Amino acid sequence: MAYRILIVDDEPALQSMVGEILAQAGYATAAALSCRQALEQFRTFAPDAVLLDVMLPDGDGFTLLGQLRQARDLPVLFLSARDEDEARLHGLGLGADDYITKPFLPQELLLRLRAVLRRVYREEPQTSRLGETEIDWGKGRVRRGGGEIPLTAKEFALLKKLWEARGNIVTIDALCAALWEGPLVGYENTLMVHIRRLREKIEPDPSHPRYLLTVRGLGYRLQREARP
Amino acid sequence: MKLRSLLKAALLVAGSALLIAAVSLLGIIFFLYHNSGGGQDWSAPVSAISETLTPTGAGYAFTGEALLEEDRWAMLLDREGRVVWSFRKPEELPGQYTVADVAAFTRWYLEDYPVQCWVREDGLLVVGSPKGSIWKHDIAMDTETLLQTPFWFLGIFLLALGGVLGLAWLAVRRWFRQDQRVRDAARSGWINGVSHDIRTPLALVMGYAAQLETASDLPPQRQRQAAAIRAQSQVIRDLVNDLNLTMRLDCEMQPLRRETIQPEAFLRQTAADFLNGGLAEGFDLELDLPQTPLPALEADPFLLRRALNNLLTNCVRHNSPGCPLCLGARAEGGQLVLWVAGGAGKIPPPPASPAPALEPDGSAAHGTGLRLVAQIAAAHGGRARFYSGEPFRCELRLPASKT
Repeated sequence: MAYRILIVDDEPALQSMVGEILAQAGYATAAALSCRQALEQFRTFAPDAVLLDVMLPDGDGFTLLGQLRQARDLPVLFLSARDEDEARLHGLGLGADDYITKPFLPQELLLRLRAVLRRVYREEPQTSRLGETEIDWGKGRVRRGGGEIPLTAKEFALLKKLWEARGNIVTIDALCAALWEGPLVGYENTLMVHIRRLREKIEPDPSHPRYLLTVRGLGYRLQREARP
Repeated sequence: MKLRSLLKAALLVAGSALLIAAVSLLGIIFFLYHNSGGGQDWSAPVSAISETLTPTGAGYAFTGEALLEEDRWAMLLDREGRVVWSFRKPEELPGQYTVADVAAFTRWYLEDYPVQCWVREDGLLVVGSPKGSIWKHDIAMDTETLLQTPFWFLGIFLLALGGVLGLAWLAVRRWFRQDQRVRDAARSGWINGVSHDIRTPLALVMGYAAQLETASDLPPQRQRQAAAIRAQSQVIRDLVNDLNLTMRLDCEMQPLRRETIQPEAFLRQTAADFLNGGLAEGFDLELDLPQTPLPALEADPFLLRRALNNLLTNCVRHNSPGCPLCLGARAEGGQLVLWVAGGAGKIPPPPASPAPALEPDGSAAHGTGLRLVAQIAAAHGGRARFYSGEPFRCELRLPASKT
C-alpha cells in the first residue's frame, strides 16, 4: 500500500515539484496552500504523513502541527526556508519528526521521509538479503548455503545498526553506543571481535570481506552491493 | 568608522562634563566671594558705623543713622562692660555685661540677637540686627587642615569629574550598543529575508536539476549539464547558509550551544558524515589522531562541524579527485588544535612555528566559507590559522576544557 502524503506549502511551484518527486517514488499525494486547506485535506485525504511549511498565508506551520496532532498522531516533517536554529529547535521541540531546510535534494527528502515512515509505522521486513546471505530479523538468524546460523544479541544489534545505515559509514563510536549504550572507551577491541565474528557469519570469505567493510580510522560500512 | 564616532561622542560628553564642572566651580567661588566679604551682608560694615560715633566729652555724637537700617541697633560698652551709649537698643537687653557675656555674644548671639562687634579705644561697639535675620557660625580649623583644603577640594572635584565622565562613558557606550543592535537587527532581517526568498526558487532549481540528472530518457550530455546545475545550486545553497551564519556571528546573534565534546569521536563522526554526504568522492580522507587521549572540548558541535565541513569542502573544491585530505587533532599547551589539510602532494607534519600563517582573524581568508571558520573559532575563544602554500592547511586552536 502506498503511503499518503499531504504537502502543505504556499508556493505552488515547489508543491508541484515535491508532489512529482513523491509520486515518482510511489507515494500518493495531496496538496494544500494554506492552513485552512490543510485542515480540509487532512479530513478528506486522511494522510499517513504531512510535509509542512512553516510560513503559510493564514497562519504558521507550528500552530498547524498542534491542530493536526490534536486530531490524530501522525508523522509530520517540516519543509521550511527558515534555517535559524530557533525555528528548527522550535519545530522539533513541538514534536515534529524531522525538519528539512530548503533547498534540498530530492534524494535527501525521500530518504528522510522514508526513515520517518519506517520508524513510525514499524515498516520492517521480516527478512533481508545481503548477497547470498538472508537475514531473518524476526528470528535473529542468518541463512547461507542451506544452513541457519544464529546471531548473538550483540551481533544482531551490530548488524541491525549497520543495516539501517547501509551504504554509509557508521563510526566505531556510534556502534559502541548502540551496543553498550556508552562511549567508546575500552570497547574498541571488543567491537573488533564482534565484527570479526559477524563477518564469519555473513561473508562468503571473512578474510576478504565484500559486504562489511572497514573504513580505516573511522568505522565500518555495510555495502548495498558486494564489493567486486 | 564606529571607533571614530565613539571617540567623537566620548569627547563631546567629556567636554560637556568639563564645562559643567568648571561653571559650577566658578559659580561657587563667585558666590562665596560675593557673599562673605567681611560682613557685607550686614548691609554696612561695622567699622564704618564705628567711625560715625564720636565722643563729645559729655557723651557721644552719632551720625551713622543712615548706615543702620530701621530695625538695627547699636550700643557701646566701656572697658568694664557698662553700656555707655546706645541707639535703638532693645529694652530687654541689660545695661551691664560681664566678660563671659561678651565672650559669648561675640561668637554667637546676644539674647538671640545676631550682633557684630568692633573694638575701639574707648570700648566695644556692638551692632545688632533683628532676631532671626542673620545666621552666624563660628568656624575654627587647624592651619594644617586649612592648607590642605585646596588639595582636598581639587581631589573631590577630580573624583566627581571622574565619576561624571565614567557615567557619561557608560551612557555613550550603551547608547552606541543599542544603536548598533538596531542596525544589526535591520541588517540581519534584510539578509534573513533575502536568504528566505532565495531558498524556495533554489529548491526548485536544485530539485528539478537533480531529477533531470537521473532521468533515463535524457542523453548523457544533458544529464551532465543538469548535474552541473545541481552542483552549482548546492554551492549557492552553501553560500546562502554561510552568509546567514557569518552575519549572525558578526552581530553576536548566534547563541553558542556548548556541549562537552570528545574530539576523537567528534572528528570521526564529522569525517564519516562528510564522506557519507558523497562530497568527497574520489578523495582519500584520512584521520590523524594521536595515540594518547585528547582533552575534551566545550563547544557548539553544530558550529564546529560547520567549520570543519567548510574547510573540507574548500579542499575538495580546489583540488582534483585523488588528492589526499586529512583531518586531525592534537593537544598543545592547554589548547586543542583541530586541523584540516589537503591538496597536491603529501600532507606534511604540523608546522613547528606559526610563521607562515596568513592571518589569525580570517580577514584575509577569501570567501565567506573561510571567514566563517575564523568567526566560529573566535566565537569559541580560539583562533583560526590559515597556512599558505600547497597543500592547503588550516588549524583551529581552541581552548581545551579544564575538567
